[in-house]
Amino acid sequence: MKISMKWLKDYVSFQLPPEKLAHKLTMAGLEVEKIENVGEDVVLEMEITPNRPDCLNFQGIARELSAVLDKPLKLPKVKKINYPNTKCDIEIVDPKDCCRYVGTVIEPVEVKASSPWIGSRLSALGGRLINNVVDITNFCLLETGQPLHAFDYDKLIGGKILVRRAKQGETIITLDGVERTLDPSVLVIADAQRPVAIAGIMGGQATEVTTQTRRILLESACFDPVLIRKASRLLGLKSDSSYRFERGVDFSAVEAGAARAVSLILTEAGGTLVARRDVNLARGRGQRKSVIVKLADIHALLGAELSAAKCRTILKKLGFQVSADSPGSFKVIAPSSRADIKDPVDVIEEVARIVGYDNLPLTLPLVRAQNVPPQPEYPFANKLRDIFVGQGYSETISYSLLNQDSLEKSRLSSLPVVRVKNPLSLDQEIMRPSMFPSLLGIIRSNIRRGQKDNKIFEIGKIYLGQTERKTFAVMASGDVDRDWRSAKPRAGDFYDLKGAIDQMIARLGLPEAVYEACEDPLFKQGTGAGIRSGRTALGCLGEVDGSLLQEWDIKYRTVFYAQCDFEALYKLADRNVAFKKFSEFPPVTRDISLAVKESVSFQDVKDVILKQGGDLLEDVSFLEEYRGEKIPPGHKGFIFSLVYRSFLKTLTEDDIFRVHGDIAQALSDQLGVALR
Amino acid sequence: MWNFDDIQQKALQEINACKDLDSVEALRVRYLGRKGLLQEIFASLSQATAEEKPLIGKGANQLRASLTEALEATKKRLAAKNLFSTQSLDVSLPGAAPALGHKHVLTQIIDEICQIFVGLGFVIQEGPEMETEFHNFSALNIPIDHPSRDAFDTFYLESKDPQDPKRHLLLRSHTSPGQICIMEKYAPPLAVVIPGKVYRPDAVDASHSFMFHQIEGLLVDEHVRFSDLKGLLTVFCKRFFGEEIIMRFRPHFFPFTEPSAEVDISCYICNGKGCSVCGRKGWLEILGCGMVNPKVFSAVNYPKGKYTGLAFGLGVERMAMLKYGIHDIRIFFENDKRFLNQF
Repeated sequence: MKISMKWLKDYVSFQLPPEKLAHKLTMAGLEVEKIENVGEDVVLEMEITPNRPDCLNFQGIARELSAVLDKPLKLPKVKKINYPNTKCDIEIVDPKDCCRYVGTVIEPVEVKASSPWIGSRLSALGGRLINNVVDITNFCLLETGQPLHAFDYDKLIGGKILVRRAKQGETIITLDGVERTLDPSVLVIADAQRPVAIAGIMGGQATEVTTQTRRILLESACFDPVLIRKASRLLGLKSDSSYRFERGVDFSAVEAGAARAVSLILTEAGGTLVARRDVNLARGRGQRKSVIVKLADIHALLGAELSAAKCRTILKKLGFQVSADSPGSFKVIAPSSRADIKDPVDVIEEVARIVGYDNLPLTLPLVRAQNVPPQPEYPFANKLRDIFVGQGYSETISYSLLNQDSLEKSRLSSLPVVRVKNPLSLDQEIMRPSMFPSLLGIIRSNIRRGQKDNKIFEIGKIYLGQTERKTFAVMASGDVDRDWRSAKPRAGDFYDLKGAIDQMIARLGLPEAVYEACEDPLFKQGTGAGIRSGRTALGCLGEVDGSLLQEWDIKYRTVFYAQCDFEALYKLADRNVAFKKFSEFPPVTRDISLAVKESVSFQDVKDVILKQGGDLLEDVSFLEEYRGEKIPPGHKGFIFSLVYRSFLKTLTEDDIFRVHGDIAQALSDQLGVALR
Repeated sequence: MWNFDDIQQKALQEINACKDLDSVEALRVRYLGRKGLLQEIFASLSQATAEEKPLIGKGANQLRASLTEALEATKKRLAAKNLFSTQSLDVSLPGAAPALGHKHVLTQIIDEICQIFVGLGFVIQEGPEMETEFHNFSALNIPIDHPSRDAFDTFYLESKDPQDPKRHLLLRSHTSPGQICIMEKYAPPLAVVIPGKVYRPDAVDASHSFMFHQIEGLLVDEHVRFSDLKGLLTVFCKRFFGEEIIMRFRPHFFPFTEPSAEVDISCYICNGKGCSVCGRKGWLEILGCGMVNPKVFSAVNYPKGKYTGLAFGLGVERMAMLKYGIHDIRIFFENDKRFLNQF
């Protein structure tokens, strides 16, 4: 909403420079977005909040300013009009759509250019001047906030006004010259045959007031805000009028707005009133309820001891009727334009606004001990982040919405999904049921930008049917960290990612993880593994299938992916890690080199070693896997390093010899593993 | 007869003048080697007279001892120097360590903001993203025909609301329904911050995203005042933006708070003079806040008139953009490595 300073001075006198004025209005809740010099005038661009449609006009702003500056408000005096007894033909089909319609017929009018005092005011605000009658309707809208429309009365077929819904397919050419096709969701003003205006939005060309016009019918009405908003959106058509109707116009201004416009038309275009009709179907509307406000509540809510006199003055300046209710409380009736004032807190806000929030005291709240527990997942998520950040993985945050195509390309289209009913585009149609497409998309865009080495993770939600579930996913591509001391970079592989997961499991204090080969369409055959900790399935891990990558247009690259259910991690995490005693005696390390049949897994071998090693075996580390000439065909070589240590004594060569031998024997007996 | 003094003096001069181990070795060979000068001297003993013999023997032994000592000393000195000049480290070469990753900047901002409030006695809670119309609108005093309920402003899901099968679930358009979730579950006193993702069907451009993050704050107790709201948020702004920050509380409108305010901080680019970042206003809007509307309390069945509360909500991306001078909201969700690695 644009406000001319010069015009504003018609209603309240002030001497403030524009910046000061803008500041005062802004700090009272009427935000000034921009200050512009227009000729000798200054125009303020205002941002009016949706609860204050009463400020979408000069009188409304002036009323606020008069309260802020404590200056009198000067409203134009409208001479009492003697209305004729003759009635014009006005009919409203549904009072829910239009609760009041005041039509006034004036003749003969002389339609010509506006007087300079009206013209200059409108053009300062960038308004286009049409003719005196139309300009007066615009002037009154800006002055009072009541949208008005003038029809050429002679062009209304049957001299009739019918407020009704449009028929399916009915058309109208609006004042902007565009032919518009209507449907029954649109409210129109019709004459005996056809729509002549889109109610509350724009008039029609056929009944436009021109210099040829002799008789006019002036419309001042009140339409349903929701209906106007929906029609405006449907037709893609906005106007100063629809803008105000959408937000709600003052019911009692219908008559006052009409009176102001009539008196101006009579002065500026001549003529006399020949007919009028006020169809008022609004039972009880416009009645104003009183609100009782206690001074003590004002003090308690604001934390400020404002005097009763001060509160009363402010409210009166804002047009409220204020009377004493009982000692220490006011009975307040808001002006009819203030439909937003319903409860005591609304009145308290009025006082606070005009006093100025910056003038209210500042205290620190008392924050007491409370029942609401902190959500433990929050610090847990941070711990998880720290573990992966410490291993060189960077956190991503990606959109939770994605398209069907990315699910299909990820072979995830069988997952239950939640769809958005009104997506902006098909790219944001589905709530992601998996983190995989999000992360692969990120890897792809980084690769396309020449960044082929990536280690990323995300903690976020996935949406499976009606449930949303926090999940954790990791993805890596390219080489592991380069080190200039070794000549060749090494490509990251399955075990790099598995190692990161192992670290996570150890650091979170989860039961040791078990990895079991599994087939998953995401993964290249033979590279997928399910991750289990104790009895709980945590997630999976593997090398992303090459043909899947091709569908994503990622070529000549390997990508590794793992996902874990966040809540399972959280539930299993051991928050009561107990201290384990360690031995004071020295360790003895022995390596063991084995030839193992291909069908026997590492885990099988390790399990036997651990079991046979018993208490004396402190640690088993894996040194090497190799295949080659020195190993019989169908076998692989494993080298382990075993650390023996006792809690009771220093181990002797004999002790070691015995247990080491037992392990070798057990491996041979149980798995057919040969010592090398 | 040999002039041992001359020989020794000359040899020592040569040895001391050596610049590298090779020349030391060459001298060693020349003087002490199998065909060296000392061998020659000892060989001359056979032709020497009986008086000469002990003198030559003594002189030769002395010469050998002193040359050996000088050669060793020089060798040591050169070897030490050698170590320094050819095997010393280029300390300017890069160190080698496993690279650390980075937490996303939004996570960092969320954590920084939440921890300020945790330090003031608040607890962190999270709420669901798929919400009911009741939580997202009705309970927050947003009437049934309010424009923000339109499909233009809120994403609706195909799933129906199990409590109200005529209505669909939606993606929360702000974190304020989190207030309702907490109040439905707990009685005051309560002080919570609720960070999370929110969704709005805005066409994506440099300043709009259909998904972004907010942090909601709520304090409800028996005597919470507007002055407390001012105090609390002033402390927050000073801790987050710095002690010298200038801020103001400006009246605004939110259906779920009354009185409502927006908080502006003085533009960090122009110090309040007006520039393109602040739209020539000199102020940057950073958060919305207010006193909880009693209608919200009645929606969660709190006893009438017993409690007052303060609430606030802020946009995480906006805070990050202000703090780091980022001008395009899309960059947060592109996850380009060059972006992630900066924070």
